[in-house]
Amino acid sequence: MNGRILIALALLALAGALVFAARPHDITADERVDQITAQLRCPVCQGLSVKDSTSETARQMRDLVAQRVREGRTDAEIDAEFRAAYGDWIFLAPPVASWSGLVWLVPIAVIAAGLVLVTGRLRGTGAPPAAEPTSPDVAALRERVAREEAAEG
Amino acid sequence: MSAADLGAAALRAALFLSLWGTGAAIYAAWRRDVRALHSARIAAGISFGLVVIAALSMMFALATHDFTVLYVAENNARETPLFYSIISLWAALEGSILLWTAILAGATAFIAFRGTLTIPRLATTALAVMFAMLTFFLLLVTTPAADPFARLAVAPENGNGPNALLQNHPLMALHPPLLYLGYVLTSVPFAYAIASLILGEGGDRWLVATRRFALISWGLLGVGIVAGAWWSYAVLGWGGYWAWDPVENAAIMPWLTSTAYLHSVMVEEKRSLLRTWNLALVVATFALTILGTFLTRSGVVNSVHSFSLSAIGPILLGYLVAILVLSVGLLLWRSARLRDAGPIGAPLSREAIFLFQNVLFMAATLTVLLGTLYPLVAEAISGAQLSIGGPYFDRVEVPVALALLFLMGIGPQLPWHGASRATLERQFTAPIVAAAVGALAALVTGTTALPAVLTYALGAFVIATVLQEFARGVRARRTLHGEDGVAAFSNLFRRNGRRYGGYVVHLGIVLIALAVATSQARTVDAERTLAPGDSLQVDGYTVRLEALRPVSEPQRDSIVADLAVTGNGADTQLRPALVQYPNSTAAVGSPGIGAGLRDDVYTILAAYDQRTFSWATIRTRVIPGVSWLWLGGAVVGIGAIIAALPAPRRRVVRMPVAEVAVSAK
Repeated sequence: MNGRILIALALLALAGALVFAARPHDITADERVDQITAQLRCPVCQGLSVKDSTSETARQMRDLVAQRVREGRTDAEIDAEFRAAYGDWIFLAPPVASWSGLVWLVPIAVIAAGLVLVTGRLRGTGAPPAAEPTSPDVAALRERVAREEAAEG
Repeated sequence: MSAADLGAAALRAALFLSLWGTGAAIYAAWRRDVRALHSARIAAGISFGLVVIAALSMMFALATHDFTVLYVAENNARETPLFYSIISLWAALEGSILLWTAILAGATAFIAFRGTLTIPRLATTALAVMFAMLTFFLLLVTTPAADPFARLAVAPENGNGPNALLQNHPLMALHPPLLYLGYVLTSVPFAYAIASLILGEGGDRWLVATRRFALISWGLLGVGIVAGAWWSYAVLGWGGYWAWDPVENAAIMPWLTSTAYLHSVMVEEKRSLLRTWNLALVVATFALTILGTFLTRSGVVNSVHSFSLSAIGPILLGYLVAILVLSVGLLLWRSARLRDAGPIGAPLSREAIFLFQNVLFMAATLTVLLGTLYPLVAEAISGAQLSIGGPYFDRVEVPVALALLFLMGIGPQLPWHGASRATLERQFTAPIVAAAVGALAALVTGTTALPAVLTYALGAFVIATVLQEFARGVRARRTLHGEDGVAAFSNLFRRNGRRYGGYVVHLGIVLIALAVATSQARTVDAERTLAPGDSLQVDGYTVRLEALRPVSEPQRDSIVADLAVTGNGADTQLRPALVQYPNSTAAVGSPGIGAGLRDDVYTILAAYDQRTFSWATIRTRVIPGVSWLWLGGAVVGIGAIIAALPAPRRRVVRMPVAEVAVSAK
């Protein structure tokens, strides 16, 4: 098979798989409880989530979340209830609004600044310095081995 | 004279020798004085011996329960088994600093004898830097800051015993020493980098001299981190292996910058670029190890590892500031001599990928640093209490990690300077097909979360590139050297260990990535309160509570749940327990783990009827693929060893083309 067709087919299959994985799908009530409790801090533990902790407090909080889910509350309503009781501290990921938004902004800013810095120092064109060897196999292999041996020394 | 007296005296003598060695090494480097160098060398050797004697004395005092020593009284009890007594050397602050000092003394002695013979001036200056750092640590252990041999006027009848979490699993013998070795060995590249800056050398000699050290300390840190994850998994009893705890963060930060360095250093070797940057990475790696020690040993952050508090915090902070001021000052002073010549390659060249990789590693490191420190800063400034935990780090670091996985597949396949279209097609056809297969394999095996599917695709992509490299290397050796397949394969590693060992490391990282993705995406939980004889079902397994019984040992009392696990071809007994140590208020959960290549059955005794033992709450997690994580850690370690082993001396045989043709038949 032609190499390019093969690449195109593989990319198509890959894209299909990713789209399938990203498709919106219903989640069960248990999964919702897990999702919500994974974001909540167990107040009596050392940085563990309510989902992971085996403490009695965490168990009660899990039961409360499960009850709220059964009652048909939305995630936002359940979050608001915990925020009212404990403050932002109860969430293991800080809110994007307010000062704590900085912790979300900084990683993005660092990556952006780094990319700008690096791209600025790259050579403009993508042209390789030397011509490709014409008979691919042995020539390429020998060149490769020579390079490796030079690297060892 | 007791062992503790001997240890304390040895440390004082070592301090004296270390001070002497610092002066002698400085004088030797400055005046090129051979006799002073000789004297510094002897001082290094003897002080290493003395610190080892001190560490052994402490182990002896622990093993013989000498409670006149405060450290022993606080961290040991008559009932502590011998094994845990001995490894209690690193159970608390003072002993840990002593171990640290011993490793640092060993590294100093090694440099004194090896380095100064091959590159005298640079290594002698580096030796002076090492001596200065050793002196600092010896000052810590000979003053009340972290004196391991501080005595009690009246010895108590019995000691407190080690922290419950530290005497619950044999992995404690492995994980801290590995990490400390990794931490301390980062000081060798640092010392050479500082020496190079002080001497104003523009060249890369410091880098060549410390390449192996950087690699070894990186490997030890990596394996130590995985061992720590394993300890956390086997001891802390919540069914996970990584919680973005401040101490875990402190360990991963220098590993991240060190990984960045190991790659960007190749750009300097090949293209003489990035000199300032590489020096900065070495300084950052070292400074992060000190920052980590400060964070975890000063009590400023809450952590499962905050085993001890002491006045050492401000001292370590001062040390860190001094190191940063010195390093940054030197870098600025010498920056004119470190200018790079010319631009970097094209966007699709190996050096460009290394740079993008560096950007991502920096972002990852800063994210961890920020997430660890921000709650402290926010509380200090505004009094607002904030939590930054797993969900934050996952959301930021997972995309960064996926991007890094992608670059890990691309980088090694691109030539230096730039790639042509034909090269790209030749290098990437098979890996792209593999990526598609990987994504489909994830879906077929039931791993359907998007990050996990991406991880499988990228993991397969990287594996394919590595296998392709192995295959081409073997083919090239067969053609050029006429070796058979097996010899050619093993010679790849022996002759060019750095490159092919690096690929093995990449395979290990892929295994770790797959383990994390699989376990995060498909862990199933069930929690039931069972009476003896009852069972719960989870993910095809049946977990039956057979009995609940108390067990008494000299050093602890436990409640053990006997569980029979059947289903999915399994038929095992697991014994999760709640363990009560006399020195700990809360019982420590000890999980019962049935490990397997496919999945682990992780059981926890969460609660039980304390009066009649008539019921127990059993939490069961089925965690798929988590064993690959430990396996991946081992593969990373093996790859690092391959890469660090020196290549054998070679006979250079260049065969004419005609002979190649003959031997190919």
